[in-house]
Amino acid sequence: MIYLTYNIIVLIKQILDIDQMKTNSTTGEPITDGVPMRVENLSKNAIEAAVRIKEKYGGKVTGIIFGGEQSSSAMKEAYAIGVDDGIVIKGYSGRNPALTAKVLSEKIKTLQYDMVILGNQSADTYTGLLPGKISSLLGIPLLGNAISIDPEEKEVKVTRVLEDHNVVLKGSYPVIISVSQEINEPRLPAVLQIIKAGKREIKIEKAAVTDASSISVISDRAPKSERKKEIYEDQEKGIPVLTRVIKEAML
Amino acid sequence: MRGIVFSDKTETLVQALTFFRQKMEVDAAVPAENTQPLQEYGAKRLYALQGTGFSDNVSEAILGIIEREKYDFIFIMSTALGREVAGIISDRLGKEIIAEVFDFNLDNSKVRTKRFAWGGKTVTEEESDCRIFTVMPGMTEASRTSEKSEVVQVKLNDSKISLVQSIPKSSSTVDLEHANIIVSVGRGIGKKESIDLVMPFVRAVKGELAGSRPVCLDYQWLSEDRQVGLSGRKVKPKLYIAIGISGQIQHIAGMRGSKTVIAINKDKSAPIFEEADFGIVGDLFQIVPALVKALQQ
Repeated sequence: MIYLTYNIIVLIKQILDIDQMKTNSTTGEPITDGVPMRVENLSKNAIEAAVRIKEKYGGKVTGIIFGGEQSSSAMKEAYAIGVDDGIVIKGYSGRNPALTAKVLSEKIKTLQYDMVILGNQSADTYTGLLPGKISSLLGIPLLGNAISIDPEEKEVKVTRVLEDHNVVLKGSYPVIISVSQEINEPRLPAVLQIIKAGKREIKIEKAAVTDASSISVISDRAPKSERKKEIYEDQEKGIPVLTRVIKEAML
Repeated sequence: MRGIVFSDKTETLVQALTFFRQKMEVDAAVPAENTQPLQEYGAKRLYALQGTGFSDNVSEAILGIIEREKYDFIFIMSTALGREVAGIISDRLGKEIIAEVFDFNLDNSKVRTKRFAWGGKTVTEEESDCRIFTVMPGMTEASRTSEKSEVVQVKLNDSKISLVQSIPKSSSTVDLEHANIIVSVGRGIGKKESIDLVMPFVRAVKGELAGSRPVCLDYQWLSEDRQVGLSGRKVKPKLYIAIGISGQIQHIAGMRGSKTVIAINKDKSAPIFEEADFGIVGDLFQIVPALVKALQQ
């Protein structure tokens, strides 16, 4: 019996906690000051997926964050879930997926890996471009939107979710796998793990990046709600109104 | 101006062709098995990609077409495959891309686009020199033209990825995009069994049943293809009835286009009431049966 172990790289994104972000009530513009950062939910799914493979087959999980000043706390969260080594690359300046992909791929190229795992999209911008870009930069196949990962000796099998059906795909190592939210329920690390994680070392690096974008933002505002907002707390009054509205729509 | 649109989903492609043919001359690239119903939507040429398509060989085929035809614009519809292809193509061309646009206008040499930002809380309007975009579904209603597309067959190369098995999803017959009335349930219904209590109402209004992300993905009380939201279906029915849905911005982004919105929720401060035309604050298990009764009278 051969025991296979895997070198897994997991890419972690830290985003502004958009659930806590508000918009200015007069201008509609986003208020980002004072909003805390959080580990993007799909990154947690990616970390969990990587750690589960390590726990089952053995191997090592290296986490990489392209981020900023607050990224060490995110890496500690990843450590608590089970990531072995962490690299934080500082210099993330904003939403340019091409730049992010370049910085991450350059780092990945210096490491040994069988699988690169990341979330398929992130909750702030939903661009979903990073898996394709990194696959292109590394020249390795992309097994995307995975809800299950089954590593075998030379290949890995992945169940991929598509809009109207699922497919099972196979690719030879090294591969990049993007995960969909349904793949797992990320664990809540035990207090002891969190304390231990806090003491572990994180490799801090810096990327020198220049962002030459042709994109200029004309406006960034909350869409105005022009709804009538006729809300009833008295059901006796509300039900006849709703019934009328529904009947009209059914015509 | 000339552009090309790629989509592996017929429904979103016909919407995009209807939208972009009014702005420029367009071609389209689609999986070969989808060619038939697509020839009357204004694509001058329809490239039929033959073979099993994966992110790598589809990207390669499209790059080949782009290189020959020198398009001014490349539009890739946002699907699981589309987003991957867009990532690969934009990298290979070394071109900047704007993702998930839902509006597009030419302004001299510049392009003006709109997309959601901050998880759907804001709409960002941008001006750029970008030539490649991923496009959200539902930009416009699809309509046919009298001219038929010329079909060009393109053979896909082998992929580094292989297909082991295709698993059909059981309930892909849900047509939320065309529903007149949608009854959508959220976490507030409490448990899966409560859906049975909502069904008489769905039937009474002759509606389609839908759900929020927690209901469809996290708890799987409903199948995934019924999920309305930024990461699910974007719907614009005549009437959208939200039951026990708090109204997280991810959800609002999927139903904002509804003509009229009704909300039923026990929490007076639920954000859904900000996005509703009519609403009742209260227990859905009392209100919903009362509505069924009132509708039958």
